[in-house]
Amino acid sequence: MIKRMSVILFCLCLCLCGCGRQEDENPEPDEVSREVFAMNTYITMTAYGTGKDSVLASAEKRIRELESLWSVTDEKSEIYQLNHNGGSPFTVSEPTSELIQFALSMAEKTEGALEPTIYPVLAAWGFTTDTHRVPEQKEISRLLENVDYKRVRAQNREILLPDGMQMDMGAVAKGFTGDLVAEIMKENKVDSAIISLGGNIQTVGTKPDGSLWRIGVQSPRGEDNFAVLEVAECAVVTSGGYQNYFEGEDGTVYHHILDPQTGESARNGLLSVTVVGKEGKVCDALSTALFVMGEEKAVRYWQENSGFDLILYTDEDKIIITEGLEDKFNLIGEYGNLPVTVQRR
Amino acid sequence: MKNIKFWYGIAGLLFIIGIAVSVWMLQKPDSSTVVILQDGKVLYQLCPEDYKEPEMIEIGYGSGKNTILIEDGKICISHADCPDQTCVKMGYLQSSSLPIVCLPHHLVIQYGSSHAQTLDGMAG
Repeated sequence: MIKRMSVILFCLCLCLCGCGRQEDENPEPDEVSREVFAMNTYITMTAYGTGKDSVLASAEKRIRELESLWSVTDEKSEIYQLNHNGGSPFTVSEPTSELIQFALSMAEKTEGALEPTIYPVLAAWGFTTDTHRVPEQKEISRLLENVDYKRVRAQNREILLPDGMQMDMGAVAKGFTGDLVAEIMKENKVDSAIISLGGNIQTVGTKPDGSLWRIGVQSPRGEDNFAVLEVAECAVVTSGGYQNYFEGEDGTVYHHILDPQTGESARNGLLSVTVVGKEGKVCDALSTALFVMGEEKAVRYWQENSGFDLILYTDEDKIIITEGLEDKFNLIGEYGNLPVTVQRR
Repeated sequence: MKNIKFWYGIAGLLFIIGIAVSVWMLQKPDSSTVVILQDGKVLYQLCPEDYKEPEMIEIGYGSGKNTILIEDGKICISHADCPDQTCVKMGYLQSSSLPIVCLPHHLVIQYGSSHAQTLDGMAG
């Protein structure tokens, strides 16, 4: 009898042992990560593979170099010096030249919805220094006289910025940097990595197990995500008024994405614009420009141009996605019932 | 005969307890360890659920300061003397993909690597 009971108990023990977790059955490949405070944002980089820490160190070094070139407040930076050169031609380094020429080309393509010379107006609102204020209309009008990307001349590495004008690469620099960091990763045989430059996501390849990266898209209504995207080898960039705003004395909320036509916060029916595409710099530039354009013009821009997809979150809590994201996009949580329209070409 | 029933009873009881413990173990979430970092250096590693009473932690950075509040199993930055107040506006730490960040003071509050992570990143 004791023998029988022992066998039963032994079998029960075996059953229970089988219920245990088996977390290390498929251990993740080596994961290295690095956090950097730079470009006025919090940057995280995670790469997979043995000995990849030195790659992240190279990437950090590059980020710091670019920051020192492009800071709008550092007196030693090229952008600062260009802004304070009294209207004389100024020769910049190759990466700065590339960045400025890219920003100007995107300004041209978006018919000024992206405006790299809006900085003085942004500064007047206090968005660059977190000393928010509502400037008078007269002040805005005066500052807008010196806002016009068409007056900037860029030839090779020589930039001519008319006296009184100032440039800020804030709408493209993070995306541009994301591309360069991804390039460093690939040059160093990193097949799987994810970089977040203050919410600008850049992915290299797929996850180490071959599955897609799951990227949350922040809700403009709160601190949570309203959707999840499953993507690989691309950038995901969101712009929205919720990212930097303040409330005026009259209760009006003012945000940092200015409409270059009015010099005031853009209010064209969108709360956020997410752009998904191969190039971080294009996604970065377009997320701002299409936010300024509003739903109708943004959709038209997408129809007339290729290489990217969109998620538009309207102020009526409607979601518009473009067809390339149809099988990559899912609403989540309390946002699960929001109406979604798929835009086709 | 009575003896057999007794042993069957014990075995059954053990089996039920074992199943219950296993189900509880499988459903229990991963440890919600929170890490507080400044300039990449770990200052605190804690589990907000372990705090029975609200507690505040003050962390300085140069002449600036953040006050971290732990209450009801949650953690947030309740006060900061930086001008933007972004970290305070973020409220409680909710997601492993969205750390609380105070840029001016290089302070980050995030879940530890053992936290169940369903997302790889967050665009926003």
